[in-house]
Amino acid sequence: MSHRMTFWSAVPAFYQAQLKLTMAAKKGLGDAVLAELVVLRASQLNKCAFCIDMHVTNLREAGVEARRIDLLPAWEEAGDLYSERERAALAFTEAVTVLTEGAVPDAVYERAAAQFDEGELAHLLGVIVAINNWNRVNVTVRQPPGAEL
Amino acid sequence: MTNETTPTAAQQAPHAAGHRHGPRMRWAKLAPEVYKAMIGLDAAAKKGLDPTLVELVNIRASQLNQCAFCLHMHTGDARKAGESEERLALLAAWEEATGFFTDRERAALALTEAITRLTDGFVPDAVYAQAAAAFEEAELAQLIALITTINAWNRFGVTTRLVPGQV
Repeated sequence: MSHRMTFWSAVPAFYQAQLKLTMAAKKGLGDAVLAELVVLRASQLNKCAFCIDMHVTNLREAGVEARRIDLLPAWEEAGDLYSERERAALAFTEAVTVLTEGAVPDAVYERAAAQFDEGELAHLLGVIVAINNWNRVNVTVRQPPGAEL
Repeated sequence: MTNETTPTAAQQAPHAAGHRHGPRMRWAKLAPEVYKAMIGLDAAAKKGLDPTLVELVNIRASQLNQCAFCLHMHTGDARKAGESEERLALLAAWEEATGFFTDRERAALALTEAITRLTDGFVPDAVYAQAAAAFEEAELAQLIALITTINAWNRFGVTTRLVPGQV
């Protein structure tokens, strides 16, 4: 599994815009741990090794309990390890990430809309879109885990 | 983008159509810095790429992600840029449409599908190698950026249920 291409330095304007997108979305959401859980879950679905490595590390460094990191792929079955706000965000993340299997269902959207005000929800969507961008590129170019971008 | 069409019966009486049909939220207004960054991302991604190819990629990804707003916009843009009705109609079956798409376009479309359907698996070596043979590396990086960006617009469009033809 070798690195296919040095992507990010080949498209510096794209890289800068992607950084801005990510920072603006995270800032507007205003909940760093929630953002990390969401981006880790999307990276698991998209199977981005580089991204999983980065965001597991971020969660550990933020002091998040190991069980909450380890059980994330099975969050729906994980009892009360995750709050309803986190669960609504994770369901929303999965629906927005697995788009080719159908639109975001009303029930999933409404569950998220019950936990987040419109501004927060717009930024949560921004966080999910931004991580999907990182996932798409880093999977496509086979970015090695832990490597410099 | 302007609304050039007369609203359909479903748009005028959304609940009568059996499902709600209207934007769920105005994300660009609610998150203006995010929108601004998306505009920057879009401009950076397209830079230097052939506009005909750009629209084919944008339409094919929007078909896979089922973004009605994006399909309406990009089929319109493609027609304005001189794209043929035949190629637009056959794009969903491009692999079987011998003679309608160049090898370079086919390589880009195969890469578009693999990157768009990421949760189904990785981008296969054969697909990547075919794209790398048709595009030199700097151009291939632009193409990957473009495919990523239309996927981002598709996610915003589908999730917030943007209405085709309306801003």
